[in-house]
Amino acid sequence: MSGSIRIGRANRLAGALPWLYLLPVVLPLIVWVYEPLGEAAWLSFFEWDMLPDTAKRFVGWANYRNLLALPKLWKAVGNTVIYMLGLLPFSVVIPFAIAIYTQDLPARFRNIYRVLIFVPMIVAPVVAAAVWRWLLDPAHGLVNRLLIGAGFEPVRFLTDPHVAIWTIIFITGWKLIGFATLIAAAANAAINPSLIEAAKLDGAGPWAIIRRVRLPLLSSTAMLLVTMSLLLGAQWSFAYINALTEGGPLGATINIYYLLWDFGFSSGAVGWSASSAVLLFVAFALLAMGLIRLSDRLSFHDD
Amino acid sequence: MMISVLIGRVLPRGVLGHGVMLVLSFLSLFPLYWMVVSSLRPANAMFETSLWPSAATWANYRYTLNAIPVAQMLVNTLVVATAVTLVQLCTAVLGAFAFTRWRFRGQGLAYALVALTWLVPLQVVMIPNFLLVADLGLLDSVTALILPHFASALAVLMTTQAMRSFPRELIDAALVDGAGNWRLLWQVIVPNLRGTLASLAILIFISTWNEYFWPLLLSRTPENTMIQIGIQMFMTQEGNQWGPLMAASTMASMPILALYVVLQRQVIQSFMKSGLR
Repeated sequence: MSGSIRIGRANRLAGALPWLYLLPVVLPLIVWVYEPLGEAAWLSFFEWDMLPDTAKRFVGWANYRNLLALPKLWKAVGNTVIYMLGLLPFSVVIPFAIAIYTQDLPARFRNIYRVLIFVPMIVAPVVAAAVWRWLLDPAHGLVNRLLIGAGFEPVRFLTDPHVAIWTIIFITGWKLIGFATLIAAAANAAINPSLIEAAKLDGAGPWAIIRRVRLPLLSSTAMLLVTMSLLLGAQWSFAYINALTEGGPLGATINIYYLLWDFGFSSGAVGWSASSAVLLFVAFALLAMGLIRLSDRLSFHDD
Repeated sequence: MMISVLIGRVLPRGVLGHGVMLVLSFLSLFPLYWMVVSSLRPANAMFETSLWPSAATWANYRYTLNAIPVAQMLVNTLVVATAVTLVQLCTAVLGAFAFTRWRFRGQGLAYALVALTWLVPLQVVMIPNFLLVADLGLLDSVTALILPHFASALAVLMTTQAMRSFPRELIDAALVDGAGNWRLLWQVIVPNLRGTLASLAILIFISTWNEYFWPLLLSRTPENTMIQIGIQMFMTQEGNQWGPLMAASTMASMPILALYVVLQRQVIQSFMKSGLR
C-alpha cells in the first residue's frame, strides 16, 4: 500500500521533472514575450497616454479604424516594402553572384577575404550609423568631397527625401553583404563536384552549369536568405533610421517599426502604438508562414 | 555581363575574382579605417582627406572621455554582456536537456513556444515590457538591461540540436553508473558540448554588446546605459563634433574588434551556424 503511493508520487515527480528543467526557459519567454503580446492586444482597445495617474478609456475598435485611415501608416507600410525589397540585392543577389564568380580563388586567399568582408557584421549598428554619417556628410564628408572633386554636385544623402531611404538601405546592406557572401560561398562549396563534372561531360557550358546545376542546388540557401531578409530587414534598419533620420525628411524613411516607436514613445499614444503593433504582428506572422511554405516547396536537395 | 566576358578574354579570370573580393574587402574595412583616422585628427585638420593625419593627436579621446562617462558605459556593457551570456547559456543547457532527455506531455507546445518567439518583433511588445520594468521600479537601471534576456530561442534551439546528436551510449553508460539527471547533464553532457557552447557564447556576447533597441527604450542617464546608447546620446547632443564622435565610436568598437582579431575563425563560424539572426 505505502509502496504504491510512493511509486505514484515518484511518477508524478518524474512527470514534473522536464518542466522543472524547462522553467528557466519558458518563464522568461512568457513574461517578456507572450504575456506582453497579449497585453499589447488588450491595450489596443484603449486610449491612454501611459501616465500612471491617467485612466485608460475603452474605445473599442476606434484605434484600428483611425489607424487604417491614417496616411502616415500607409506611407510607413509602403516604405517597409521598399526596405524589404531594397535589401535583397545586398543579402541575396550580389552575394550569390560573388560567391559563384570567385569560387576558384585559392583557399589561402579565400580565407583572408573571408576574415575581411565579415567585419561589418560585428560592428554595432550605432557605430555604423555614426561612421556613415560622417562619410556622407553633405559639406565635409569624404564621399561628397570625392564627388565634388570628380565634378559632380554634392548629394544630401540623409536629408534629400528621394535619396535618404536608399542611403539607409545601403548602410543596412553594408553590414550584411559580406556575411551573406560567406553563407552563399559555403553553400556553393558544398555542392558535390561530381554533379558539375557530369554536367561538363554532357557538354554543358559554364552558363548552363550555373543555371541548370548550381542555382537549383543553391535555391534552399537562397530562399533562407530571402526569408531572413524580408522578415528582418526592415527591423535591422530601425537603428539607422533612429540614429540618422528619425523617419525624416518628411517621413521619407519612416517604416512600420519606426512608426510604432514614434507612436509609443514620442507621441505617447499607447492605443495607437498597441493597435499598430497588433496589425504588424499579424502581417508579420502571415508573411512568415507564407515564406516558410514557399521555401518548403522550392527547396531542392541533391540527395 | 558582356563587359566582364570581354575583359575575361584579356585578363585571366583569377585576377578579376581577386578584384571583386578586393573591392568588397575595401568597402567593408575602409569606413572603420576612416573612423580610426578621423578620431586621431586634430580639430583644425578634421576636413583633411589624407589617409593618415599629418599630426596625430589623442585630443578627441580626451574630449570624449570628459564629455561622457565612457569608462562607466563600457563597464556597464561588459557587465550586461557577460551576465546575459552566462545566464542564457545556463537556461539553454537546462531547457535543451528537458527537450532531449524525456518525451512528455506538452513537449511540442513548449518547443513551439520557444521556436516561435522570433515571430514577435521587439517593437510589438515594447510598451508592455516598458510598463513592467517601470512597475518593478527598474527604469534606467543596469539590472533591467539584463532581465528580459534570461532565455533566448536561438540559444535553446542550437543547444537542443547539439544535444540531440549526443551519443546515446554515453548517456546509458552514465545512468548505469548510477548518475542522476543533474550529474548526467553537468558532468557528462555539458563538457562534451564545449564547441557549441563556446560559439553560442561568442554569438550572445557580441549581439548583447551591440544591442540597441532595449537600452534605447530604458536608459535615461549616461551613467546607467550601455556604450551604444552613449554614442547615440553623444550624436544627438554634439552631432557634428566628428573627431570626438569617431573617438567614441572607436572606443565602443575596440573590445569586439579585438575579440575578433583573436578569435576570427570561431566568430565567423558561430555566426554562420546561427544563420542570419
